Amino acid sequence: MSAEKIKICEDLYDIMPPEYQDIVENATYGKEGRGWKDIGESKELIEQHSLCAGCPESIAFRYILASLPAPEDTVFVGSTGCTSLVFPMVAVHNIHSLFGNQNAIATGLKRALMVRHPDKVKDVVVLAGDGATVDIGLDMTMQSWFRQEKFTTICFDNELYANTGGQESGLMQKGFVSKMAPVGKLFDKVRLPEIAREAGCHYVVMMTSSKPNRVEKAIRNAVHVAREIGPTYIQIYTPCILEIGKQSMEGLDEMKDSEGIGGRFTYKEYVTDAAAALIKEMDDAEKAAKKAAREKAKAAAKA
Amino acid sequence: MDLYKVSPGPESFLPPAAAKMGNVLPDPGQGHIGGTIVPEEEAMEMAARKFLEGKVPTIFPGPLVLWHWNEKAAKKAKAIRALADAGPFRLIPMADYRPKYPKINPEVEINPNHPNLTIWHNEIDVCIFVGVHCHQANLSLKIIRGGTDCYTMAMCAQAGHEDACLSFRDATVEKIERLTWWVNKLKAEGVKSQAKEFTQFKHIPKWREAEGN
Amino acid sequence: MNKKVIPEDRKIISSTHVKIGQKNQKDQVHTEPNEFFYGVERITKFFTGSEVIQSAIKVSHCDVMVAYPITPQSEAAALIGELFADGYIGDYFRGESEFAVMGQCAGAAFGGARVFTTTAGPGTLRAMENFPMWAGSRLPIQVCVTCRGVNSPLSIQPDTLEMSYLLETGMLIWHAETAQDLYDFILKGFIVAEQPDVHVPIAVCCDGFFVTHTKDTVDILPDDVCLPPYDPYKSPVPCMDMECPPVRMMRDPFIMKSNYIHYATHASWQQEIHAAVERSRKHTIPFLDGLIDIENGDRDILIIGSGTAVSQSREAIRLLELEGIKVGLIKIKTIRPFPHEEVREALKNAKTVFVPEFNIVGWLAREIKAIVPDNDKIIAGPHVAGGMTMPSEVIVVEVKTALGLNVEKIKM
Repeated sequence: MSAEKIKICEDLYDIMPPEYQDIVENATYGKEGRGWKDIGESKELIEQHSLCAGCPESIAFRYILASLPAPEDTVFVGSTGCTSLVFPMVAVHNIHSLFGNQNAIATGLKRALMVRHPDKVKDVVVLAGDGATVDIGLDMTMQSWFRQEKFTTICFDNELYANTGGQESGLMQKGFVSKMAPVGKLFDKVRLPEIAREAGCHYVVMMTSSKPNRVEKAIRNAVHVAREIGPTYIQIYTPCILEIGKQSMEGLDEMKDSEGIGGRFTYKEYVTDAAAALIKEMDDAEKAAKKAAREKAKAAAKA
Repeated sequence: MDLYKVSPGPESFLPPAAAKMGNVLPDPGQGHIGGTIVPEEEAMEMAARKFLEGKVPTIFPGPLVLWHWNEKAAKKAKAIRALADAGPFRLIPMADYRPKYPKINPEVEINPNHPNLTIWHNEIDVCIFVGVHCHQANLSLKIIRGGTDCYTMAMCAQAGHEDACLSFRDATVEKIERLTWWVNKLKAEGVKSQAKEFTQFKHIPKWREAEGN
Repeated sequence: MNKKVIPEDRKIISSTHVKIGQKNQKDQVHTEPNEFFYGVERITKFFTGSEVIQSAIKVSHCDVMVAYPITPQSEAAALIGELFADGYIGDYFRGESEFAVMGQCAGAAFGGARVFTTTAGPGTLRAMENFPMWAGSRLPIQVCVTCRGVNSPLSIQPDTLEMSYLLETGMLIWHAETAQDLYDFILKGFIVAEQPDVHVPIAVCCDGFFVTHTKDTVDILPDDVCLPPYDPYKSPVPCMDMECPPVRMMRDPFIMKSNYIHYATHASWQQEIHAAVERSRKHTIPFLDGLIDIENGDRDILIIGSGTAVSQSREAIRLLELEGIKVGLIKIKTIRPFPHEEVREALKNAKTVFVPEFNIVGWLAREIKAIVPDNDKIIAGPHVAGGMTMPSEVIVVEVKTALGLNVEKIKM
C-alpha cells in the first residue's frame, strides 16, 4: 500500500481516536532512510503492549519496526508466544495461525503476494520465539531456507519458553536448570546461525538488542537481501528477565554481559558473496546520498 | 422450523447464531426485519424510523469506510456523515479489531471483542454498523444481543447479517444516501427525532488546529 | 426458518467480478458462474479421477497449489504441476509435509490467493491442526481429500474413516460419488466457499482408488473458459497484503487475552464459523440441485449413503428388484452442512433404512440416527474397511437378512 493510502477519510477524520490520527500524520510509512532514530520523534508502529516491564523483547520490537525499509508494504508472520501479545498492537498487517508453522505461512504468503502483486515489492518478515523457530518449527524453518524462499526470519532468542512459564528450549544453554530440565539442560545450545548458513541463508546475524544501530543495520540488510537474493536469518537475544531471575532494569546489562568476547551472543554474521555485493552497493549508495546532502547543505549555506 | 425472531437482547447466556436457527440471508433487493425477509425499501424505512425513535441512535462506521483506501470508501464516508447529520445521530468508530490494551475508551470507540462496553457506557438503544468486515460485525452483533437491549442494524456491502435485528445488503453510496433520504422524508412527515441531546465526540489534533481546520 | 431455499433456483447470486468477460494469462475467459456451469457446452471425456481433478483445476483460475506425495492423491497433485508448467496456475511447489503444506496454503490464502491442495489418509491427520485454524481464520481454501485408511498397520487402500475426523473442523465437507461429481464439486466448491457470507474452507472428498484410479465418463468444460478470479477484498476478514484497512491488523489475535468478556468473544467466533457453514446451504442447494438426491424415496426400504457406497447400493437395488424387493435410494452430497431437514423428511415414511459405509465405525449412520426420531429403523451397515470392496451382493444380503428372508450363502 503506498504511504498515501494510509489515511483517514476526511469526512470521518474528526471522530477517529487520536492514536489513529497520529499514525496517519506522524508515522514514518514511506519515509526514505527510516531508522531507530525516528523513535521519540515520530509515531511508532507499535502501540501499547502487554509485555512485562523492562522486557528486552519490547525494545527489540521497536527497533525492528523502526528499521523496516518499507513497512507500508511489509507483512509480518508471527507465532505463538510473548510476541503474539504484541502483534495486535503493530500497525503492519501480521498473521498468527499456529505454533511453529510461521515459515510455512510465510512461504505461502510471499508466493501469493508475488502472484497477486507482480509489479510491487512486498516484504515478508517472520518474527517468532526460539521455541517456535528451533524446536516445534525447525522443519519448516529450515525447509524454507532450502527452498530459497525470499523472506527474512527473525528469532527472538530468550533461551526458553517464556509465555508458558520458562521451560527448556533447544536454544537454552547447557546446564541451565529450568522447568522440564530439572537436572539442568543436558545438551548444547543449538547452533542455528551455523545451521542457517549451511541451509542456504544469504545473510545471517547473531546479536543482542543492546545496540539499536546494529539492529537497524541488520534488519535493513536482511530485508533487502531477502527481497533480492534469498532467505536471511537474524537471531536476537531478548532475555526473559522474569524467568532468569533478573529485575526489570537489568535486561540491558544481561544483553551486554552476554555479547562480550567469548559470550553466547558475541556478534557474528555470515554473508554470501552475492549478499555482500548487494550490501556494499546499498552502503555506497547511502554514503553517496549523505555526501550529496552534505554538499547541498553546504552550497545552500554559501548561497 | 418456526421463524427465529431476532429481537433486541439480552437473550440467554449465549444467544444462538441466527443462521443456525435457520434464518437465511436476503437476496439482492431485499432486507430483513427481525429475521423476516422484506423488500429493501421496507427495511430502509424501518431503519430510519428506528433511528428517529432511538434515544441514543448511533452509527458505528468500521475500517472499510473510515480509512481512505480507495475513492469509494471516501464517498461512503461522506454519505455516512450526511446520514449522521440528518438525524442527528452519534458516530462512534470501530477503527480496527484488535483486543486493545490496556482498555478501550467506550465513550469514543467500539471494539468487536467487547462492543457491549460502548453500548452500556453511552446507553445506546439503537445502532447501525457500516463498513465493518462481516466476520467482526457478526461477532459484535451477537455480543450486543447477548448482553444489552440495543436494537441492532447492519448496512452490509456484501450479503447482509442475520444476527442483526434489521439488515440490508449490497450497501453502496446510493443506498446509504437512500437511508438518509428516508430519515429526511420521515422527519418531513412529522416524525420527530427522540434523540437525547448530545455532543458528537470530535478530536481535532493540535497540528490541525494550527492549520486552521 | 424465514425462507425456503429450493433446488429449482439453479443459480448462484452475487458472483460479480470486474474481470468477468476478460481473459486470463492463458486466454481463458473469466465466465460468470451461472453461465459457466449451465450455459457453456461441455465435452465428454473418459478420464481417471486424477485427470478429472486436473481438468477441474485447469479451468478454476487457481492462484496457488501446494503439493505433497501421498497415495492415492499423488498423481492428481503431480498432474496439477503440469498445469503450472503450462502457465495455468500462479504458483505451485512441493511442501515438506502435510502439516507444512496446509500452513503454506493458509499463508497463500491470508495473502488473498485462491488456493487448492490435495491430501489423503495419514496426510489428512498429520495436517489436522490446520483445518480448524483455516476455518477460524475464514480461509476459503479447497482441499481435495482422496480417502484412504489411517490407522496402523499402514494401508493405502480406500476407507472413509478420515472424513469423520473432519466433521467438526468448521469446514464445508462434500462427498463425491463419481468422477462427474468430483469435477463439479471442485469447481462449484470454490464458488460456494468463497462467498463473502460463507468464506470457510472446503474439503471435497472422494473415495481413494475407486474414484481416483478408475476411468469414468465425465463432461468437462472447454479450456477457453475459467472461473472468475477470487476477490479477497470481499472477504469477511481483512486480506493480509497491506492493501486494505485497517493497517493495524493481526490475523488472528488471541481474544482470550483481551481484558473483558473474552470467553464470549471466542464463543461468538466459533458460532460464527458454524453459522458460515449453515449459510452455505443457500448457495449449495440450488447449485448442487439439493444436498441430497432421492430415487424412489416412497419405498418402505431405503438405502442412504454417500460416496461410492451409493454406486454400490444402486447396483444392489437393481439386484433386489430382480427378486421383487423394492428399495429406494438416498444419496447425501454434503456432509457439512449436514442435510438434517432433507434426510428427516426423506426417511419419514420408511420402515427400514440401511447405511452402507466404507469404514468400520459407521459415522454416517451415527449422524443419521442422531436426527431421526424413530432411529431404531436405521441399520448401520454393511461396513467394509481397509481397502475392501463392497460387492453389491453384500448389501443385498444385509437387506434380505434384516427382512428375515432366506439368504443363500455367497458363492466364492
